Amino acid sequence: MTMSRLEAQPTEVIDRSTTQRFRWNGKRFSGFEGDTIASALAAAGEHVFSRSMKYHRPRGILTADYWDPNLLVQVGDDPNVRAGHRLLEAGMDVQAQNVWPSLRHDIKAANGLVSRFLTAGFYYKTFMRPQKLWPAYERVLATFAPGGKVDPDTPHRYHDKRYTHPDVVVAGAGPAGIEAALAAAAAGARVLLVEHEHAVGGHLRYAHPEPARAALSELRAALDASDVEVLTDSTVTGRYEDNWLGIVQRNHPIAVERLIKARAKVLVVAPGLIERPFVFSGNDRPGVITSGAARRLINLWGVKPGERAVVFTANSDGDAAAADLDRVGVEVAAVIDGRDGRRVSAAQGSSKALEAVLAGGTRTEADLLVVAAGWTAPTSLLNMSGDRPVYDPNAARFFPSDPPGNVLATGGLAGDGSLDELRAHGAATGQLAAERAAAVAHRYQARTARALPVTGDEPAWVADLRVPLRRTHHPELHRSDTHGMIDFSEDVGSKDLVAAAREGYDSVELAKRYTTATMGSAQGKLETVNTVAAIAEARGETIAQVGTTVWRPPYAPLTLGALAGRVFEPVRVSSIHPWHEANGVRTILAGQWIRPDHYGDPAAEVRNVRANVGLIDVTPLGKLDLRGPDIPKLLNLLYTNKWSKLPVGKVRYGMMCAEDGVVLDDGVTGRLGEDHYLMTTTSSGAAGVWEWVENWLQTERPHWRVHVTPVTTAYSSINVAGPKSRELVSRVVEGVDLSPEAFKYMEVRTATVAGVAGCFMWRIGFTGELSFELHVPAGHGMHVWEALMEAGADLGVGPFGLEGQRIMRLEKGHFIVGQDTDGLTLGPSTGLSPLIKLDKDDFAGLPELAWAADRKLPMIVAIQPDDPNVVPEEAAQIVRGDTNEILGRITSSRMSPMLGRAICLGQVEPELAAGGTKVTVLLVSGERISATVMDHHAHFDPDGERLRG
Amino acid sequence: MLLVPCPNCGPRNSADLRYGGESHARPDPATAAPLQWRGYLYLRDNPAGWLRETWYCRSGCRRWFTLERNTATNEFRDPPQPGDKRGAKA
Amino acid sequence: MADSPAFESPVVRSYETSEDGDLLLTDVSATIKWLVRASPDGAVADQLGASFGSSSAAASGATVLGSRPGEWIVLGTAAEAAGAVEGLEGLDSSDLVSCLDWTHGRALFRVTGNEAARMLEKVCSLDWSDPMTPDGAVASASVAKVTCDVARNDVDGTPSYLVFCDRSFGQYLFDALIDAGDEFGLVVGPAGG
Repeated sequence: MTMSRLEAQPTEVIDRSTTQRFRWNGKRFSGFEGDTIASALAAAGEHVFSRSMKYHRPRGILTADYWDPNLLVQVGDDPNVRAGHRLLEAGMDVQAQNVWPSLRHDIKAANGLVSRFLTAGFYYKTFMRPQKLWPAYERVLATFAPGGKVDPDTPHRYHDKRYTHPDVVVAGAGPAGIEAALAAAAAGARVLLVEHEHAVGGHLRYAHPEPARAALSELRAALDASDVEVLTDSTVTGRYEDNWLGIVQRNHPIAVERLIKARAKVLVVAPGLIERPFVFSGNDRPGVITSGAARRLINLWGVKPGERAVVFTANSDGDAAAADLDRVGVEVAAVIDGRDGRRVSAAQGSSKALEAVLAGGTRTEADLLVVAAGWTAPTSLLNMSGDRPVYDPNAARFFPSDPPGNVLATGGLAGDGSLDELRAHGAATGQLAAERAAAVAHRYQARTARALPVTGDEPAWVADLRVPLRRTHHPELHRSDTHGMIDFSEDVGSKDLVAAAREGYDSVELAKRYTTATMGSAQGKLETVNTVAAIAEARGETIAQVGTTVWRPPYAPLTLGALAGRVFEPVRVSSIHPWHEANGVRTILAGQWIRPDHYGDPAAEVRNVRANVGLIDVTPLGKLDLRGPDIPKLLNLLYTNKWSKLPVGKVRYGMMCAEDGVVLDDGVTGRLGEDHYLMTTTSSGAAGVWEWVENWLQTERPHWRVHVTPVTTAYSSINVAGPKSRELVSRVVEGVDLSPEAFKYMEVRTATVAGVAGCFMWRIGFTGELSFELHVPAGHGMHVWEALMEAGADLGVGPFGLEGQRIMRLEKGHFIVGQDTDGLTLGPSTGLSPLIKLDKDDFAGLPELAWAADRKLPMIVAIQPDDPNVVPEEAAQIVRGDTNEILGRITSSRMSPMLGRAICLGQVEPELAAGGTKVTVLLVSGERISATVMDHHAHFDPDGERLRG
Repeated sequence: MLLVPCPNCGPRNSADLRYGGESHARPDPATAAPLQWRGYLYLRDNPAGWLRETWYCRSGCRRWFTLERNTATNEFRDPPQPGDKRGAKA
Repeated sequence: MADSPAFESPVVRSYETSEDGDLLLTDVSATIKWLVRASPDGAVADQLGASFGSSSAAASGATVLGSRPGEWIVLGTAAEAAGAVEGLEGLDSSDLVSCLDWTHGRALFRVTGNEAARMLEKVCSLDWSDPMTPDGAVASASVAKVTCDVARNDVDGTPSYLVFCDRSFGQYLFDALIDAGDEFGLVVGPAGG
């Protein structure tokens, strides 16, 4: 086969005045703007584009479109680019894939010589045993695997995302799809028309006759004049519940790809039909092409597909291809009419001198064998809508069965007809779609709180009174009297499917997985019907009896970049964050919060807090503003301890358990006024506790009068800790007596701090030091922080971060929910049983905690390694002696700057929980060390003298 | 994506809501036997068909509500009612 | 210490600003914001006027947004907001009414321009068409993966949207909105209140 560029064609899409130079396997080529990579190469005389996956047979153009399985190439560092679709760009570096050492001399083609061994299930059968050799097999097989090369250093490129809510989405802009879009828009609908190819028009684009060209111009002009939003080079990749559609737009001006998530009120499915290959010996040789490929090459890109052709045609498209070939000077050596029962039987010889062999033995020499054997109905979007398309043997393809009312099919998918009939059906479909969409839109609008009030009643659901398209008889052409290729992308032949059926894999879903037929890059678009036909033949049944595989999303592949879209990674920072950044902070990401971990030396920060005074930004601490008379009831329900008698000005610690008795959260809550409390939660638990509280209030106790408002980020929270904290705070606080007698441990005051009114301040002690926690309106957080820093310069004030705080709380033995507890840690395991008041009428988790009270539970205990210099890893197991029997684990561990030794918290089995018990800790290194369980949780200042100071 | 008929906001993408699971009453903690309480915690009917379930309109009105959904077809029976039974699992 | 210090916005990065753009994004976090909660159909609801999903103008000049069933956001200058909120807590003794100054809790941005809805479509799954989100509409939704209150509040007939988020997300969301508006020529306006 020798292709070359024809003189200008009236329908061509190339601009011959713009030459684009590119490389193909290192050599220089050129094409025109509007060419695909494949059409430019074909015009330059290239006829082998790839090697097949298993047998490395040379492969040429088959369909010359997006689905062509033989045209996958590498472009720069993009693998698996579809050369039948991707437009040529100047400077492209195009390489063949799956070839070694080169496309022309492929050593792996030797596989072809042993093809009888590479039958269905070959890999499963051959490389299964012995299992230990699999890694070796895998290395060898990997070099034979298809696909291009991925460059891990490829820079991140911009992908985009958009949501849209059109009334009608039309998938496919052939004549029926365009008419549907126009009619829907004319009826007042907002319409999005999505076309897979680079331009609208469907098969009219490559139809030569004047009436087709006139119709295309007319449709394009009408679209231009309409309000229809048209997306070309875009694909509706999936249809999900309630017409939620994924659409990938490949030609977005600023993004590599854009993923559009559309909520369509009605979806019109108009993808047309996909031409399917015919199965015969040699049907995958270069030079054997579909009729659509011949017409596209000639009419879209002005490429002469060969010099001497044999045309096997069973339909009008094949006839049109023969006419096109003849018109552009290709010698049509023979037309074999499949409607007369004649069949092509084999293609033999080389691609330069192909011989078409007819059933019966007649041979015709040619360099091109054009095949028009029938259609695959791409019912994907219907399948995804829940429809189960039905096979019609008379028309030799599947048709829609009973899709939901908001999914309508038109065009070739729905039936056959003249161009006028298809257009009329499209228009009727668009009208129906708009009417039904109006009913859905009315319903959405009527029920949406923020929407404009609707007028009138919801429009009636319009019955489908479209005149159905007829179904034209088409011979059932699947396989000739020889065996050939069925799945070109996976190199699965009809023999393989017959063998699979013989081995018992005779259901289509099993045979598909066993042979991998329909699982390659074409994803069934070309090969599904022939696959089903081969199984039907092997089982002696009809296609309708065998049924088909279910088409699942995506309809066309999309990149992971498109799926990821724009990467949104929300992060939170406190108002004081710029100060941290300006002062050498090392941050840590805690949930969504960017928090100060330390400022260079956490141990020094700890020593400074213990000796002088330090500031930590604890803004992420969850804060809930509670208002109303029933707050004590709410607190009694949420916490395990009692809250009925908390006086105004006091703060109390509480632990929350879930209904299964597992520790959920903890924190302090202070009473600011008669009916006004501030609850704090753990930083990570802030969102969850809010929802938990709302759930109780809305569903279980809706009559309680309490308002809960999250105010976590309304306040900047600053903990001032250390023996000099009182002195420091007294320098910036107005109007509050800070003396130990007047403002005691676990009390709360409202204060003006550094001129900022409306601050809350309470005395608590997570670090174990005298400390004042200030909650300052966040718009003044930075001001107060800086005021404290300035006021405390002579006191040695310095910042400390999360790490310093974690060390200090571990010195004090305070557990952290989620760090020292897990999803099985019941309330009593924390050692806080005295705070679990089983005599209350009710609280979350009460029954489980009551039953747990009598059981011996794993306990959180303080542990010190006997070698003070060894800090066991967090999550190191505690085991029984030299065995691997697990008796617990280390949950927190640090070197204590104050004690100069390793300190831990851990969870242990009850038998190990008593103070003085020796335990064995298995380190990650495998070494076992001895450690001692302590009497108290606190390693440092167990009597708490410092924080009460 | 499922469109959930929030009784306050109107139809919302299911990603805007938190699924609270089957609607079930909380036993009286004073009298609940272990089997009854653990049924409340862990046992679900999981029918293929109509199910009364709870949702939390997390990105929208922040309200819990219950409604009936056919788990086999994803149809909702409307109108949904603001919930009177708790749905969130512990 | 006598004077109350200036309000610090959550948007701390500096931007080249202009008031001259077809699509304008401004940081108006300093606007006074009150959160009012009461029964959705009591005396407070009657006085505030806005039901869930809609907005109203208070006599004081404040804007009232029906942000959730039984919840309202009151916006304006300090005097306008205080005027709208004053007396609400004592209006109906049978109802629990609470008013909370939320100014420091929420970042607030305004996007104005004919392409504003197209820009918001890139970061939010709500239907921004006129019938579904008319002038005055109020909703809550995820914007660039942050839960926000959004309100349409047109300016002189030009579509304009208010976006509220937790203050701590403010800088992130502001940058996400700038990014979304890039293809529409978004311009950052001077911060206001």
